[in-house]
Amino acid sequence: MREPLTKQDISFGLDDLRPRVKEKKTLRDYFMPPRHPSILFDPDKCTGCGTCEMICSTRNTKMVAPSAASVKVITDERQGKNFAILCQHCRKPLCVEACPTRAITKGNDGIVRIEKLFCTDCGLCTLACPAAAPIKDPGSEEIHKCDLCEGEPLCVRYCPESALTFTRGKFFRWIKGLRWAVQLISFLLLVVVFIGTFCYFKAGEVTLSCPTGTLQNIASSGTIILVGASSALALLILTILAGRLFCGWVCPFGFVLDLVDKITPKKLGWPAFLKSRMTKYGVLAGAVGGSYALGFQAFCTICPIGTLCRSYGVQSFFRSAELAIVPALAGLEIAQRRSWCRYFCPVGAVLGLTAILRLIKIVIGAKKCKKFSCIQCAEVCPVGIIEGDELREGISPNIPMTECIMCMRCIDRCPYGAAKIRFRWQKVTPGEVT
Amino acid sequence: MSPLKHFYNMQLGIIDLSLPSAVTIPLNPEQVLKRIGGIAMNRELLHEHGDAIVFGTGPLTGSFAPASSLLTATFASPIFTHVCHVPFMLRTGPAMKFSGIDFLVVKGTATELSIIYVNRGNVHVRPATHLRSVPAQDIMNALKKEFRPSGAALVTGPAADHGILYASVSVEGHGSLDKAGLASVMAAKNLKGIVFGGTGGLPFGRDNPGQGKELIQRISADRNFIHRGFAALLKLMDGGKAAGIIPGKAKKKDMACYNCPAPCMTHVSFPRQDFSLLLLDHMGVTALAKKTGAHALPLLRRCLQFGLDPAGVARRLPDGKTEAEWLFAIEKMLTEAERNQIAAEQSADVPVKNHALFGGGIAPIPPLDTWHTRVGLAMILGVCPLFFLRFPTISETDLLRFISQDEAALTKLQESLTASIRSVISD
Repeated sequence: MREPLTKQDISFGLDDLRPRVKEKKTLRDYFMPPRHPSILFDPDKCTGCGTCEMICSTRNTKMVAPSAASVKVITDERQGKNFAILCQHCRKPLCVEACPTRAITKGNDGIVRIEKLFCTDCGLCTLACPAAAPIKDPGSEEIHKCDLCEGEPLCVRYCPESALTFTRGKFFRWIKGLRWAVQLISFLLLVVVFIGTFCYFKAGEVTLSCPTGTLQNIASSGTIILVGASSALALLILTILAGRLFCGWVCPFGFVLDLVDKITPKKLGWPAFLKSRMTKYGVLAGAVGGSYALGFQAFCTICPIGTLCRSYGVQSFFRSAELAIVPALAGLEIAQRRSWCRYFCPVGAVLGLTAILRLIKIVIGAKKCKKFSCIQCAEVCPVGIIEGDELREGISPNIPMTECIMCMRCIDRCPYGAAKIRFRWQKVTPGEVT
Repeated sequence: MSPLKHFYNMQLGIIDLSLPSAVTIPLNPEQVLKRIGGIAMNRELLHEHGDAIVFGTGPLTGSFAPASSLLTATFASPIFTHVCHVPFMLRTGPAMKFSGIDFLVVKGTATELSIIYVNRGNVHVRPATHLRSVPAQDIMNALKKEFRPSGAALVTGPAADHGILYASVSVEGHGSLDKAGLASVMAAKNLKGIVFGGTGGLPFGRDNPGQGKELIQRISADRNFIHRGFAALLKLMDGGKAAGIIPGKAKKKDMACYNCPAPCMTHVSFPRQDFSLLLLDHMGVTALAKKTGAHALPLLRRCLQFGLDPAGVARRLPDGKTEAEWLFAIEKMLTEAERNQIAAEQSADVPVKNHALFGGGIAPIPPLDTWHTRVGLAMILGVCPLFFLRFPTISETDLLRFISQDEAALTKLQESLTASIRSVISD
């Protein structure tokens, strides 16, 4: 007689039948990530005619049945706005994680699909999706989700108002490429070639110096040396003209932090009581006060930017004991992106104060931004100053330019072209097209 | 095989509110082929069933033919004292068709206020006493909670409950082109409204999406295609005099009915006043604007809340009053129900008989010599008559080609259509 099955005999599970596809990142993915196809929706053009629903349903069910479409147009009766609910084919789709039968997968082409064979129409994906994009057909109870018609979306082709456009994603984000190149060159120039020039640089009559170092110098010596003070102006003038461009594009320590961020994608977070952007102004005051009390530029000895720049070339790079401060502070990146820049950097504090006089600003036009939108600008911002919740409500978020490091990631990432640079005197009322 | 087979569910719902009972029976294919559908079929069903309201769709309703949003209601109008056909747009037509019913005959009088729910080919009569005297928009919200329809709903407002003759049916709480007293007829039957679930579908023609796109491309250079929105249609009607009632500071957004490429509605909102309206009744707004000038929008809002025909209200409002006085006068209309028949607003350009035949709410858009035939044709085929009037270059053959490409079948359809129009207009 055959023995009854034990627990070990039936221990195979879904992982054995349908293992999860593990994301393998190559070096190329870091610098030239795969394209991210999606359908962009312009609420200004949409008249709510529902042609997209009709044509979509013909693909799903071979007949015109708007309730079975993978796209849904809804109207806000109070505001008179139309919105399309459709799959954004997220980079990290929550529906994929939520699906208990692993019927939803993200292909190499970036399209998130439902494998009908495995789908049990449980509807967990509709609950998990922040945009409620997988739609349960009230007629057949089936789940329908946009698969971009395998690269040629019918809704885009047939929309009479051209309110829907299809993008295969940017092949190469030029701002991103340019920023990394500038950061790398700046790092090499300041750390390897022109050693120590960030702290103080003199060529003939021209002198340049770190503004925070200059403030400490004034405090420690008790005298204002006009040449020294004016030499600090270069960075301040750059900040007035272009915001804190130095922090986002030039700072060698910022470059190190961006590299560390790439290898520490999961963040632990800071306790709430430590998350005050005013802390860096306290650090600045402490640095200046300390210099006055001690009689030397106290903070400069532990300044991560200065430490990097004064490491006296590649040979000395590994010998310098000072350099221990760099990995120690870079380790803060485990808690949050650009933690040092957000909360502690006194150089950033001086530039932040100068940025009050800036000539430009970054604006994000909520009207161009889709409601229930991607919020990619908020996700990508390394200093976390873009309010995604405001965008979801159709309001242009007020971006504090004293905190913005002008990395322009938001501009680069926005698929709708809603993030832009404007002069500070150009009026942008919340909700209006910028 | 009938070329219309894929364009209908071939189901007729018959409701007797007095029992109440609801049955669904198959449509006679020969009758459908002979009458094509829409108001021609409605008229025939009305003659078969006597004192009833017949709701019907055309073959193109819900299809890829442009502006295929039409639902028609045929009944004996208490205002015009003859049979009238009232058009309903937005998503009503497709919602009815996708609920599995092509035509609906509503007979008898219910003992209590009732509502009809149609979905998946089934028709149910449900009590609606809790909706008595409730504003139209609140009824819509209540119905959405109760039925969660992905389709549409037609309801009557408090005005109909108070027995007012010039009450008007409200589609999704936005009003309608009903100026023939359908709401009062529904109220007389104790019928509060009809909800269409709209969770089904129909295959229609396979080439239809491409045909629709070609047709849109053909008319895309037309002046009427470029100039859109409520004001553009007002301009076609009366030179745009009434367009001035929309203040410049209002937020405006053009809106379209189901599958319509040329929107003629405008959503206006005043965010600071928390006040918004979907303007769709061109005749009603024009009548109110003529009487009350810049105060027309707040008065229109009150009319929509009460389920009143703005044109009917405009005729009864006294001249030279303030906005508050006019608002008070509208409220007073509810309590002092005026049952006397007053001749409805007529267009000076379209013969009274023709205008009244189609419910008195369709704007007189030129060319006016063919106005009634083109309206009748659109209301038989299930296409928005306003769209068909605005684009005279679209012929009936263009629309019939959505049903069949075969020349022999097309000729037969053409003959049936001509006979149907003649029968409708002869009433």
